[in-house]
Amino acid sequence: MSSGEVYVVDRVITRPGRAKEFVDAYLSGYAPGAVDRGMTLRNVLVSPPIWFTDRSNVVTITWTLPNPRAWWEMTWRSRPDPALGQWWTGIADLVEERTRTVAAAAGDVDALCDV
Amino acid sequence: MFDLTRLIHLSSGADRDGVLNEIRTVTAGAEHALVQPTLPGVRNGGDILVHLRFDNFDQRASVAAEFDSVISSPGIRHIDGAEYLGTPHRGAPHSADAVYRTLLLRIAPGTQDDTVAQFEEDLRLLPRFVPAINAWQLSRVESAVGSVPWTHVFEQEFASLDGLTGPYLMHPVHWAFVDRWFDPECPEVIVRDRVCHSFCRCPSPVLSPG
Repeated sequence: MSSGEVYVVDRVITRPGRAKEFVDAYLSGYAPGAVDRGMTLRNVLVSPPIWFTDRSNVVTITWTLPNPRAWWEMTWRSRPDPALGQWWTGIADLVEERTRTVAAAAGDVDALCDV
Repeated sequence: MFDLTRLIHLSSGADRDGVLNEIRTVTAGAEHALVQPTLPGVRNGGDILVHLRFDNFDQRASVAAEFDSVISSPGIRHIDGAEYLGTPHRGAPHSADAVYRTLLLRIAPGTQDDTVAQFEEDLRLLPRFVPAINAWQLSRVESAVGSVPWTHVFEQEFASLDGLTGPYLMHPVHWAFVDRWFDPECPEVIVRDRVCHSFCRCPSPVLSPG
C-alpha cells in the first residue's frame, strides 16, 4: 500500500485589500471541518507578507494527510456535504482566483506510483 | 458497435436470481451480454449490472421490446443507464478473475467544449498508469435514463477486484490529477451530480475491439 505523505495545497490570489479577511474566514470557517476530516494544517503563507489595502496577496495554505488512503477517506467525507461547495461560493468576494493541487515529496513519487 | 448499459435497482424482497435469469434469456440475441449481480462496494450502482453490445441499431431493436418489458416489472424500483457508440481498447488479455466496472457521470451543463475535451483526455490517462486495467472504453452518451441525463460512460475491465480497489484508487494519477474534475472543492470541478459507480464479475471479455 502507498505510504507517502500527501499534501493538499490551496493557492489563493485574494482580491485587493481582502487577504486578512480571507485568512480569517479560512481559519475560522474552513479549517475546523478540514481537521475533522483528517487533514493537518502545515502552514498558511502570505505573499508578500504585508496586509495590502489596495493590492492582491497570494495566500498559500498547505495541508497534509498521512497517505493516499487517508486522502480518499477525507474526500469521501467532504464530497456529499453541500456545505463545503457553498463555503467556497460564499467567500468568492474575497478571491480573485484560486487553485487546489495535490502533491507529494519528490522522494516519495516513485513509491507512490508503484501500485 | 452500439452499447447499452443498465444499472438495475431491485425493490425490497425482489427475486434477484429470477430477474437475472429473465434478463439473460431476453438478451441472448445481443452480440455480447454481461448480466451479473453487482459486487459489494458499488455506489449508486444498483443490484444488477447489464451491459449489452450490438452490431447495429436493428439488432438492438430486436432485443428491445422483451428486454424493456422485463426491466419494467414491479420488482425493479429504479434504473440508471445509457446507450452509446463505444470504441473499446484492450491492453492485456482477459483474466479469470476479471471485474468489469462502469462509471456513469454527467458533466455540468454549459461546460465549454475545450474543457470537456481536456477532461476526456485526462480520463484516458488512467489506463496508461494503472496496469490493472486490462481494457477500457470512454464514450459520450447518445441517450440516457435514470437520475440525471448522463453524458459519459467510462468502463474498464480490471484484472481482479483488487486492481479496482487498490492500484486504481491509489495511483497518484487518480487522486492527485484526474479527481479534480469530480471534487467540489476544486475550481476545475465539472462533475457535480452524484455518479454511478458499479462493478461485477466479468466471466468473458466485455471490452474487446472488433
